[in-house]
Amino acid sequence: MSDFAAVSDLAVGSKILETLSVLILLSAFLLMANKRINSYIKSFRLQSFLIALTAGIMGIRSLFNEGRWDILIVCVLIIALKVILIPARLSKTYANVRYKVEKDFIWNIPILILVCCGLVVFSYFTLAGVEGISGESSNLQLVNSVSVIWIGLFFMISRKKAIGQIIGFLVIENGLYITAMLVTHGMPFIVDLGIFIDLLTFVMIMGLITFRLNDQFDSIDTDQLKNLKG
Amino acid sequence: MDTIIYIIIQLGVVLLIAPLINGVIKKVKALSQKRKGAPLLQMYFDLYKLMKKSSVVSDVSSWIYKATPYIVFGTAIAAALLVPVSTTILSSISIPGDFIMLVSIFALGRFFMMAAALDTASTFGGMGSSREAMISSLIEPSMMVSLFAIGIIAQTTSLPLIMLKVQTMAFPLVHPVYMMVGLALLIIIIAETARIPVDDPSTHLELTMVHEAMILEYSGRHLALMEYAASVKQLVLITLFVNILMPHDQWIGAGIAAIGLSLLIYLFKVIFMALVIAVFEVNTVKFKLFSIPNLAALAFILAFLGILQFFILGGNHV
Repeated sequence: MSDFAAVSDLAVGSKILETLSVLILLSAFLLMANKRINSYIKSFRLQSFLIALTAGIMGIRSLFNEGRWDILIVCVLIIALKVILIPARLSKTYANVRYKVEKDFIWNIPILILVCCGLVVFSYFTLAGVEGISGESSNLQLVNSVSVIWIGLFFMISRKKAIGQIIGFLVIENGLYITAMLVTHGMPFIVDLGIFIDLLTFVMIMGLITFRLNDQFDSIDTDQLKNLKG
Repeated sequence: MDTIIYIIIQLGVVLLIAPLINGVIKKVKALSQKRKGAPLLQMYFDLYKLMKKSSVVSDVSSWIYKATPYIVFGTAIAAALLVPVSTTILSSISIPGDFIMLVSIFALGRFFMMAAALDTASTFGGMGSSREAMISSLIEPSMMVSLFAIGIIAQTTSLPLIMLKVQTMAFPLVHPVYMMVGLALLIIIIAETARIPVDDPSTHLELTMVHEAMILEYSGRHLALMEYAASVKQLVLITLFVNILMPHDQWIGAGIAAIGLSLLIYLFKVIFMALVIAVFEVNTVKFKLFSIPNLAALAFILAFLGILQFFILGGNHV
């Protein structure tokens, strides 16, 4: 048993978490490079799957080291919610709106990607001054996951349509979640549950608001909200 | 004396299996379309047939047109000498030159190819060379940055030394820096070898062709040399990728049998990469010309993030 735990600790150790955190950062870049709303949803699903994978690896490790089940349950919840339910709901919302012009970003894609790269540099320099994260791999994981938050924020303000902004918010949430998970190696279970219920409510409400926006303005472009409508 | 034998092995292997890679890619594409496709060795037959034919040269063209196939083929061979196919055994070649020279050699060949396409004053040639100039000026910075990222880690610019350094690592492919650089290199290989998102190698449609438009005027022996040079260049880039990201020589000892085994593993790796490229090509569509900057930006950013990850890791992690 202890032998197996040692092996799993080695294989499942920070090396794979490092790689996964880089892949999550990469999926945020992929999201930024997407042009179409259906590809946003696919990229978001990919990112959530990578987060679920991270949670699964951490869950297996904590199961063998401390005998805790809760992170594995969180992994299953992430797969159910963020990989299956929320993307499906977003696709349904998008299929139901009438007005479909796909291109909705403010600048062209190379500039957006370059700005994102600047955000990674920025988060590296801000986090370099924080005390107590001197370890190499934890530094890498922290910089990557904080960068995901920044990129999500930038995604939210660089897209004009409501669905793009919902996805931006979900990416911010993904970034916050992965940051918390990589720093604490497993939050208390009740906190995870609270986050998930918040998220589900958010997506429901935003879906409804997108429908309302579409009904009122024949468009899901949030720029239209500047006009008064009776 | 040994050096000469190693150079012969290096060049022989590259020249021998370069057309095979094209065959594998074409076969996979044909199978994906439920066709039987040309035989794997089709390109060898084509080259043999073209070599036997005399070439037609436009009488308004200058010496550049006639010299270009030999220059392009010469640059391909020079590039093949710089990138060892099997590191520990063949690194004793020690030809002066590093990856900066590799990029410059490619640029030299490309320059003459573009000049020759302009030389015959055909409209397609000019169109092809202007497109090629745009694509190469976009892709070349990413290639330099990604190679520099690897060079910073290995603290050398020499390719054999980089490949020796990589062998001390457990799995370079899952290391954060190498993963980023590897993805950038994959985009670069696809763009440099005129594969589908950037250029369609199998059509002669005037709207889409880039590389084909430049060699449209060539025939016979000259065309054979140009096509052979293109396939050798493709194999050199694939070799760079597989030997940096999937090193295998650390598990093999020394000796004659080891060289054979190493080359065999190398062949499998290269065919595997050809399959990866073919699958990528099947699953994507050709971009319009003005979407290529997006791809180039992505490659550049991946390479730059690779360097950045190296510094986030403290600069001495590897």
